[in-house]
Amino acid sequence: MLEVSGLSVSYGPVAALSEVSFKAEEGSITAVLGANGAGKTTLLRALTGLAPVKSGSARWASNELIGRRTEELVRLGVAHVPEGRGVVTELTVEENLRLGALWRKRQPDFRQLIERTYDLFPPLAERRSRPAATLSGGERQMLVIARALVARPQLLLLDEPSLGLAPLVTLELMRTVKELSRRDGLTLLLVEQNATSALSIADAAVVLSIGRVVITGDPKTLAADDQLRHSYLGF
Amino acid sequence: MSRADRLPGAERLKGLQGQPLAWHIALGIVAAAVLYLVTSSVSLYDNTIISEIAWYAIAIAGLSVLTGVSGQISLGHGAFMAVGAYGAGLMMEHFRLPLIVPILVGIAVATVLGAVVGLPATRLRGPYLAGVTLALALAAQDLPTKFSSLFNGDTGIIVNQATPPGGVNPERWLAWISLFGAIVTMIVLANFMKSRYGRALKAVRDDDIAAQASGLNPNRMRVLAFALAAGTAGLSGGLFALWSGIVNPNSFSLFLSIQLLAGMVIGGAGSLVGAWWGALALVYVPQWTNSVTSHFSSVSAITANVQGAIFGLLIIVVMMAAPTGIQGWLSGGYRRLRRGRSRTELEPVLPLDLDLSSTSTAPERTRP
Amino acid sequence: MTLFIDLTLNGLTYGLIYAAVALGLVLIWRATRVINFAQGALATLTTYVAATLLDRSLNYWVAFAVALAAGLIFGALTERVFMRPLYGKPELNPVVVTIGLLILVESVAGAIWGSTDRGLTPAFSQLGLTVGHTYLDFSSFDIFILVSVLVLMGLMLVLFRWTSLGLKMRASAFAPEVARLLGVRVGRLLTVGWALATFAGALAGVLVAPLLLLSPNMMDPVLVYGFAAAVLGGLDSPVGALVGGVLTGLGISYIGGYLGSSMETVGAAVLLVVVLSIRPEGLFAAAKARRV
Repeated sequence: MLEVSGLSVSYGPVAALSEVSFKAEEGSITAVLGANGAGKTTLLRALTGLAPVKSGSARWASNELIGRRTEELVRLGVAHVPEGRGVVTELTVEENLRLGALWRKRQPDFRQLIERTYDLFPPLAERRSRPAATLSGGERQMLVIARALVARPQLLLLDEPSLGLAPLVTLELMRTVKELSRRDGLTLLLVEQNATSALSIADAAVVLSIGRVVITGDPKTLAADDQLRHSYLGF
Repeated sequence: MSRADRLPGAERLKGLQGQPLAWHIALGIVAAAVLYLVTSSVSLYDNTIISEIAWYAIAIAGLSVLTGVSGQISLGHGAFMAVGAYGAGLMMEHFRLPLIVPILVGIAVATVLGAVVGLPATRLRGPYLAGVTLALALAAQDLPTKFSSLFNGDTGIIVNQATPPGGVNPERWLAWISLFGAIVTMIVLANFMKSRYGRALKAVRDDDIAAQASGLNPNRMRVLAFALAAGTAGLSGGLFALWSGIVNPNSFSLFLSIQLLAGMVIGGAGSLVGAWWGALALVYVPQWTNSVTSHFSSVSAITANVQGAIFGLLIIVVMMAAPTGIQGWLSGGYRRLRRGRSRTELEPVLPLDLDLSSTSTAPERTRP
Repeated sequence: MTLFIDLTLNGLTYGLIYAAVALGLVLIWRATRVINFAQGALATLTTYVAATLLDRSLNYWVAFAVALAAGLIFGALTERVFMRPLYGKPELNPVVVTIGLLILVESVAGAIWGSTDRGLTPAFSQLGLTVGHTYLDFSSFDIFILVSVLVLMGLMLVLFRWTSLGLKMRASAFAPEVARLLGVRVGRLLTVGWALATFAGALAGVLVAPLLLLSPNMMDPVLVYGFAAAVLGGLDSPVGALVGGVLTGLGISYIGGYLGSSMETVGAAVLLVVVLSIRPEGLFAAAKARRV
């Protein structure tokens, strides 16, 4: 279980997150929603040591995540797919994938793992030796998710996977994400601007507004509550 | 639309701050008065030192405006000093003219050359421009040897001391000339930085596309900045010629360019006051180290090198302890005192961001 | 004709030395966006280490190996001590620190070993070879220079293209944050990068010392031309460093040979300006991926 409690982040005098607390069950998908600047990305960055945490904690399995160095987290089974710019465009598709497995000293099933990933995302297999810069937006998003999977995480933090994707591609992506979580028992924290598609696959939802948690609960009730949707999600 | 002919009265002194040119001239007059008193009371030797500080400060100030405001780096600024010095020196050697003429010619030649060199600068960024200016600095050192008949090769040309009006010591007269040049330079540069062009340059530095969209021509602005900095170095070179009495290739080695750059960063890039800190450091640190080492060691290999070692160390220490230079550190301290809390807001000297910090503190990006 | 051949061979020899220096600059620029002006001074230092060992009549190859190892160590130390605290500070600062280091290291070298020129025993004869009946201004030692630098380039290519370490280094250079999220210890790899770069510089130092005579500022012109070579090739490209180095070496050799040595620097400056006016980011500038 991921248990975040009292997490606060500030950039200089500006508070980006204040006292954020919530729980995410193992093997579940938790959608993190909210308007622009609500602190969704900051939340993920705080969990992986990329944002300056002022106070609070985040426990995953039996480990405290806060205060660790970013590069240690993948060793605790946490993978973070950052928003938008996660592909290393100067490397080939395959090199990007290999990067995901490098943190392990020994990788006996490395080849197999990469092949399995290609099965999951066939377009990547076709372009394996091409520079990642040649990929389309959707393919890039596939690549960063695939790369995170190669790292074999138990907790996957996804930041706006649907950003810049066509609705149909988004739908496809959400389906894949759902399947992954079911198949591998992945715990997922899914930050989305696109609330509808995220709510459609989520088991739980956390809504942020100006750095605070305003609602936690069942995605279906949330999707049905017009009042909440209007005030915090803007649709 | 000259602001000078609308000089406000004493009761509107406060309002001067809203009118940069008038305000800068007023500051300049005050500085001139203070410096007149200083030069009159210190020894002739100290007056020579004052002249040296002045020509260093002039060159550094131009470089500082170039780097701090436009974000361009020049590693060959000494070359423009050489141009100014040779230009002025040759004029003085061949013609009998009032002192101001050769100096102005030196400035003009350096400015024109700066504009020419500035042309490739419009396309080059960061280290690519640094590479070109570095090559230029080296070439400038070899040209006088190549065109020996004009520049008199490695021996160089002799520059006669400026003849002072009756009763004034030559050293004091030179200090006055140099300080006058320095004050005028500071007024011009301060005004430039506050002007439409200066602000435009900052815009160009921060964002090419945005600057273009607002109707500025970034390339023209860069050439302008380069020419201005070169002209300033030209003045510095002319004053150097008077100060040193001889102009030869050795005076303008690559080391001079590096010293100027170091002086600028030590003082604080983009700051005119910082230029003076840098000049003071360049003049006094070697003097100080010389006197210290002569006390402690007589091994020539060591005494000959202690000056360099301490200079190098000083550059490193200042850069690590006060990343925005002496002036940045001082004004940061002043601001801290006034606010009563220990919050530093350091404006980055250069806009290009390094994504190397161990914790990136970029706030959540906002999207339309 | 013999002049042309001599100039070409000579240009190649120096060109590969410039290429080694350029490679060192490129490695550091790619990883940390810093131009390491101290590279030459550090190489002088390692060359003095070799010279000291040779004076104690140690085997040339021992001295050679120790000098290169010293390069690795000095590079790593420079990154740890001087560069690490400055990441994230204004971009000019680390560059100016390397300038400070350049002055400091050269002065220290002068204080320890004196400022007068001295020779360095070469590994092989420096006498010109005779091919058929033509005497060439090209010696066994020059061949050694060519081979060493090409081997260095080959090793770097293998390292970067085909090893995990190389992949990690490239990833941390291009996308440090992503690399860290994938468990790459970026800080450690920066240290490795500086070590390797200074290693390349150290090689250039030992190779050039028999040609130029060893003195505290022996590497100043070599660094400047190496920098010009790196800029010419494109600062992000190791291949560019090789090509840029050879072009610079040949260019300077021809200019010096046909127009006189005082035109070398002027010619180099003109060459640089002309090439950069056509390709502002060097010959091997990477096609820029649009970053939004």
